[in-house]
Amino acid sequence: MTTRHYQLRLYIAGMTPAARRAIDNLTALATDLGQQGEQVDIQVVDILQRPQLAEDERILATPVVIRKLPPPIRRVVGDLSERERVLVGLDIRDDIFDP
Amino acid sequence: MTMAHPDTAATGIQGLDFLLQGGLPLGRPSVLRGGPGTGKTIIALTFLCHGIAQGDKGVMATFDEAPEALIQHATGFGFPAEQFVREGRLQILDMRPNPDDVSGHAIELTAVMTRIDHALKTTQAQRLVVDAMDVLEGAFATDTHLRSELGRVFDWLREHQATALITVGEQDNFSARHGLEDYVADCVIALKQSLEHRVMTRLLRIVKRRGGAHGTSEFPFLLDSEGIFMIPVTGSVLSAKVSSERLSTGIPGLDAMLGGNGPYRGSTLLFSGQAGTGKTSMAAALANSACQRGEKVLYVSFEESVDELLRNQLSIGTDLGRFTGTTQAGQCLVLMPVRAVELGLEEHLMRIMRAIRKHQPDVVVLDPISSLAGRHREDHAKAMLLRLIHLIKEVGITAIATELLADDSQGVSHLDVSSMIDVWIKLRRHEDNGEMNRLITLVKARGLPISSQVKEFRFTPQGLEIEDPYMGESGIAYGTNRHALQSRDEQTLVQLREALSQALRQREELDEINAAAERLARAERDARAMAIDRNIANLERRLAMIHSAKSTVSRSRL
Repeated sequence: MTTRHYQLRLYIAGMTPAARRAIDNLTALATDLGQQGEQVDIQVVDILQRPQLAEDERILATPVVIRKLPPPIRRVVGDLSERERVLVGLDIRDDIFDP
Repeated sequence: MTMAHPDTAATGIQGLDFLLQGGLPLGRPSVLRGGPGTGKTIIALTFLCHGIAQGDKGVMATFDEAPEALIQHATGFGFPAEQFVREGRLQILDMRPNPDDVSGHAIELTAVMTRIDHALKTTQAQRLVVDAMDVLEGAFATDTHLRSELGRVFDWLREHQATALITVGEQDNFSARHGLEDYVADCVIALKQSLEHRVMTRLLRIVKRRGGAHGTSEFPFLLDSEGIFMIPVTGSVLSAKVSSERLSTGIPGLDAMLGGNGPYRGSTLLFSGQAGTGKTSMAAALANSACQRGEKVLYVSFEESVDELLRNQLSIGTDLGRFTGTTQAGQCLVLMPVRAVELGLEEHLMRIMRAIRKHQPDVVVLDPISSLAGRHREDHAKAMLLRLIHLIKEVGITAIATELLADDSQGVSHLDVSSMIDVWIKLRRHEDNGEMNRLITLVKARGLPISSQVKEFRFTPQGLEIEDPYMGESGIAYGTNRHALQSRDEQTLVQLREALSQALRQREELDEINAAAERLARAERDARAMAIDRNIANLERRLAMIHSAKSTVSRSRL
């Protein structure tokens, strides 16, 4: 199995409970993927600090995770509590979690 | 506007600003709601661009239409939106949801606010439009927190002190459901469309206006390629400027009928008549003479096209075409052809008023106003015409209207607008001896000494001429008949005069004859008397002779 390199950027608007959950959920996902041999980089951007980035990405709602690499770009909005949904949304192979 | 509330931001839509007593509440959020196609985006854009044109800066967050489309709309209404964007005075935030976004739970709309906040700060905008906010619901349908999130947005807007206009669709009572109207917005404007007689009318209503009175009626408005236009039904200023200046109609005979100098400036004239009685020609003649004086005329033609009108009037000597060119002072004669069937009554009214506002004419011709009444319920048409005439009168413009009377109307007007008419002239046909003549009667003329005589008018190469009818032995006569009668009567006169002089001559002759006869008789009498006298003398002499002879004989016998 080839190793893939995912670059995910999580946009939050301040450290709200939802943002906290999103960070936790995404970190857990990255850890699990790492154990499957995938490489996942996570970058967290607070748009309250960098509003221009929100504009550039045309972000409407937070938290939102954007798959920057590999293309195509994928976005999932919410606290990322439903892992299935996140994996489908980010188009990350879910077969790696199959037993 | 004199009644403007101090804490308002004008929308630039005159009628709306009037209803809002100056504009939207300054530094507060207002909601504009309405179904699809009611004109929310256009009104919001106008509010924004009007402010920018006045020196404000503006931000528009669009959830529905593409920024390019909005710039196109604004440019269409005469705002240099692209230039606004280049100069940093207008920023458009593309808030259209990404259809590929996968949404989950616990969504926060802080990003919307953050982006708007960022834009407001970088542009230092005083005005904000959030267009089609209800789209958020469609995009994040799973989220039940939308209501509280929206409440947060409005609270934040109020803190921000930008004058904000948020438009929302009517889908499932979006604004009511989320409590926008009751709690969060300081001013709520509702738009809707009503369809009547297969004609669509747009209506606007001020639902709520915190800290200010507002009219509760629905006000019709116009929305087309030239932007938005509305006239408040109520609240129009009632003091029409009254002028004592008289305006010549250009037809000496008509001026004479109106006391010598024509009607007052700013008065309303109505020419009523059946088909072919010369209403349009009368109106055109008046327009022509106004143009000759250098006044501006707006000619609203409901039946004839521009070319038809110019050609038809030229054929009877009224050359209106020479005034239609653009001069330094603008166009002297603006011809506005309107197809009566195309639009609803309100739309007609507003289009005419908008044209008046645009061209600022001295004289407005409405030819014929009856074509508006024909297709609509008559009471509606009457109400609309009354308003139209009132609005025109209000701005001190002389109005010339024509009214087509049906052939079976027996000359009775059905428009019932005479209360608004200052000078009412009836034109009719007089058919007699296989000929049609045109007659003109002054029904009323407020404040003018008027002629009560029915006159005749004719089209001559020199224009319209009004003539007194012929009153002869056998009554009043018009047209050729009048000429025939006139010449017949003249012949009779000649004959009579001849007969009279003949009789006088005879009389004189008779006197002479009598005198001569008398002389003759006297001569005869004298001659006879002389003859008798001679005879008497003769007889006496003979008697004397005999007598003397007898006495001589007797003396000798003695």
